[in-house]
Amino acid sequence: MLDLALSPIRQHKPDKLRQLGIMSLNGMFDEMDGAGVLRQAVTELLPGDIAIVSSFGADSVVLLHMVAEVDRTLPVYFLETGKHFPETLAYVETLKRHLGLANVIALHPDPSDVARFDAGGDLWETDPDSCCHIRKTEPLDARVSGLGGWVTGRKRFQTAERGVLPHFELTADDRIKVNPLAYFSDADITAYKLKYGLPEHPLYSKGYKSIGCAPCTSVVAEGEDPRAGRWRGLNKKECGIHFDFNGAIAKPMAAQELNLFKDGKFIADPFRPWVEGDDPAAARYTHIPLPVFLDNRDAVLANPHPLGLLVSPGDKVELARGDLDRFVSIAINFPAFTDGRGYSSARLLVERYGYKGELRAVGDVLHDQISHMRRCGITAFVVRHEPTKKALIEGKLATVDIFYQPVGLTEIPLGTRPFLRRRAVENA
Amino acid sequence: MYRYDEFDAAFVQERTAQFSDQVARRLTGDLNEDQFRPLRLMNGLYLQLHAYMLRIAVPYGTMNARQMRMLAHIARTYDRGYGHFTTRQNIQFNWPKLRDVPRILADLASVEMHSIQTSGNCIRNITTDQFAGAAADEIIDPRPVAEILRQWSSLHPEFSYLPRKFKIAMTGATADRAAIRFHDIGLQATTSKLGEIGWQVWVGGGLGRTPMIGKMISGFVPHEHLLAYLESILRVYNRYGRRDNKFKARIKILVHEEGLDSIRQQVEEEFAHLKGGVLTLPQEELDRITRYFAQPDYELVNQTTVDVAREKIVNPPYGRWLERNLNAHRQPGYVSVTISLKPVGGAPGDATDTQMDAIADLAERYSANELRVSHEQNIVLPHVKVTDLPAVYAALVDQGLADGNAGQITDIICCPGLDFCALANARSIPLAQELTRKFQSPERQAEIGDLKIKISGCINACGHHHVGHIGILGVEKKGTELYQITVGGDATENAAIGDILGHGFVADAVPDAIERLVDTYIARRTSADEPFITAYRRLGKEPFKEALYGNA
Amino acid sequence: MEILTGNELMSGATVYLDRDGRWVEELQQARIFGNEDLEAREAALAATRKTLRIVSLEVETVTLRDGIIYPDRIRERIRAEGPTAPRFDRQHLDEDGHVSI
Repeated sequence: MLDLALSPIRQHKPDKLRQLGIMSLNGMFDEMDGAGVLRQAVTELLPGDIAIVSSFGADSVVLLHMVAEVDRTLPVYFLETGKHFPETLAYVETLKRHLGLANVIALHPDPSDVARFDAGGDLWETDPDSCCHIRKTEPLDARVSGLGGWVTGRKRFQTAERGVLPHFELTADDRIKVNPLAYFSDADITAYKLKYGLPEHPLYSKGYKSIGCAPCTSVVAEGEDPRAGRWRGLNKKECGIHFDFNGAIAKPMAAQELNLFKDGKFIADPFRPWVEGDDPAAARYTHIPLPVFLDNRDAVLANPHPLGLLVSPGDKVELARGDLDRFVSIAINFPAFTDGRGYSSARLLVERYGYKGELRAVGDVLHDQISHMRRCGITAFVVRHEPTKKALIEGKLATVDIFYQPVGLTEIPLGTRPFLRRRAVENA
Repeated sequence: MYRYDEFDAAFVQERTAQFSDQVARRLTGDLNEDQFRPLRLMNGLYLQLHAYMLRIAVPYGTMNARQMRMLAHIARTYDRGYGHFTTRQNIQFNWPKLRDVPRILADLASVEMHSIQTSGNCIRNITTDQFAGAAADEIIDPRPVAEILRQWSSLHPEFSYLPRKFKIAMTGATADRAAIRFHDIGLQATTSKLGEIGWQVWVGGGLGRTPMIGKMISGFVPHEHLLAYLESILRVYNRYGRRDNKFKARIKILVHEEGLDSIRQQVEEEFAHLKGGVLTLPQEELDRITRYFAQPDYELVNQTTVDVAREKIVNPPYGRWLERNLNAHRQPGYVSVTISLKPVGGAPGDATDTQMDAIADLAERYSANELRVSHEQNIVLPHVKVTDLPAVYAALVDQGLADGNAGQITDIICCPGLDFCALANARSIPLAQELTRKFQSPERQAEIGDLKIKISGCINACGHHHVGHIGILGVEKKGTELYQITVGGDATENAAIGDILGHGFVADAVPDAIERLVDTYIARRTSADEPFITAYRRLGKEPFKEALYGNA
Repeated sequence: MEILTGNELMSGATVYLDRDGRWVEELQQARIFGNEDLEAREAALAATRKTLRIVSLEVETVTLRDGIIYPDRIRERIRAEGPTAPRFDRQHLDEDGHVSI
């Protein structure tokens, strides 16, 4: 699971606020008076003890403009994740100049974390939560943990999930989060930008409405939720640095269980199931059923997005053998654990056709079949059966780990009699 | 005999631990019954009518005295003092309790035995000729290859959830005593034009609801490519065998529906990929395994024959036993002895713990510490000196195991039927008992000669009724057990499926009906040397139909 | 008329649901469900499934003769009595084999 705990020890500075009462504070300002809210926070509540975190995204300029109005020396932290669009980095410079921001501080991820967890630079693809964690949560945490509060650019209408957002929030560890734009709608933002002639993010006009790191941001369609372009297809809505109203950590994946077991742990699954009616030419992060792929081969091969292939019992994997490299993941469907056709499909894919991407088991994936699946080359498992999950997490699968028959590519011959007798490769 | 090395020992121990864990998870509810059932079946554990039933493999029918004593121990300790030997060279215990099963498996593991894949939709115990390694008519001892197949098929990750069960039988002799034409795959040792020994491969045989005789899919597969060839067949079956209908899921239906040529082509395509790969059996590995099955140290004995005719006069029961229960041995002065588990009035294939212990003693003392289980539900002492026969016989008499009826009308194959089995529709054991009583006279049996009766209590045909010279199938009709009689079946190399001659009989009427068939045969045979099955082939159905149902 | 029967998980013994919701060895104590008891029967089946302790759960039709429960199928008569040949006593429940719903 995500570990979003901002560092454990924090100073307590809430006495003033406690006396004041969060409710009364929230009633003090006009809904649209973002600058008033910010001024109250910076000058009255937490002078010298508050900062702002900005993504320098499409809408960031509104809040930054308010900062410039209130105190241009207020620390503005920018999460330099290393994954930003070049346009975003240019925009940081533009706004510094245009607004006269004197204290923009770039926060970089810990290079040792990057080396350890994301050496290949593709963590965003396999485990976006962990990517956010090392590139955003950790660096930010190190910087803001000592502060009494910070300013966010969250808006009430930014996504459906956020619900009622107040101007001031008290976190569980008695710190204050300030949301000057809490009552702003998209129209309010647009109007504000127009009114003050603020420079747009260079990508805004190209259809990007909510801009984060380059790999996880896509164009939002007309009428779509602005944040729909973030982590599109990843079942992820928040990057993990926001806190909810009660101060509990807003776990972006909390509502959705982690079902994908891979490399020894359950991780966020960037894929969502294929749905009847999905467009093979435009789909992304879904496993296209093999028959659909065969019927729409050209469209799928021209589709620029990451895609998987779904192999169900009865499907002939040999029909796709020349196109397997197109797929970052192949899902072997076991509609019932008693249907063993998937084992043959898996072996053919790995042993005969040399498929090297993620091979996952989906469907009725249970404890006692996992070792067979592994032997046949399956490396990831979408598991919904709770006792099976538990056994996987605890490393308590009941298995026979020495094998009579040579199968797959992950077994090593034993001793001086390599025929038949095998053992699993460690951690395979 | 094969001996486990550290690897084999570790393997069964890990499997036992795994099964214990599965039982524990069933008890906590982590596994529900639907999830647990295939797992317990794959380890031979059924739930029958009255209790669990544990089926233990005797791989290719071979075991030693220590193993037989362990079976006796299990019968005594965890069961009710007896076990039931089956047509697939297994033994079944009818009364174990779930919590005892892990202990039983651990006990079995201590003597190099297991119950792995004695049920479930996977590759079952590899069976073979009960006289393998001893028979005079043998081209090759099939057991080294059978052992390699046992290893290859044990917990095979690709073939553990097949459409249906998969049975392989093999024989190294010219006479088929293993019913290989009625298995999913039958392997018959053969010699190529170049004089190389290899295997003829038969596929798609089976009994059950749709009996079929296997068809030859390959005339010759050398040892080195046998595993690759079998893996090819299994892969084609796993991928394309029917899974929509349990009754049409065996490979025989796939072969029947798609045609042998189509299946052969698919298998050959697969084989073209697999041939020469990791499954290629190195000669040194075959040699290594073969050494385990080295012939025992035979003694050179002066007496190489026994005067049966004389013994029949001096001691008729002993003489009859010699006449019926010995099989010619490759070594002069030796014979293989069949210990009949078919006493008059008994349950075919059952042996008590005391009998098992006694048989173990005999094996140790007189048969190079070897025993066999036959598909006809008898036990065999494979290597007995002719000069030891009187002592062996005397010991068998003491145990009530000295019936000289092998291959005769009372040597009945019989499934447990509705007395035990959850699938059965009618009882079969009481009928077998009744028939043995009716035909118990040794003179009468001798007069009849070779005649195999096989009884099944339901269409699944565990009692091989389709291939009995006379077959009996129990069905239930409106709360009554009825028995349908078939004639002319043959499980050997002259494979044939019996003909149904008409309506069924109530249990009480069956013995008389069988007697009418027998009388018809005796009346119309060319001589006492013409066996029942030969006469039936010559005469056709009609006289037998008339015997059963009259002229109407 | 129907009764509910199954086998107890640990021993495998044949058991019947009695009038008090206990799973017992004795056929004659079995609760009889008539045509009008469909709902109760389904509820009993559901409650039994929940225990995970009774397997091969089945609804069997029976006839009452002079107050004696007589299963219609031969199979059930043999299940109630034990094997007829060779004759053996039935399997019995262990101490921990008593299941109630």
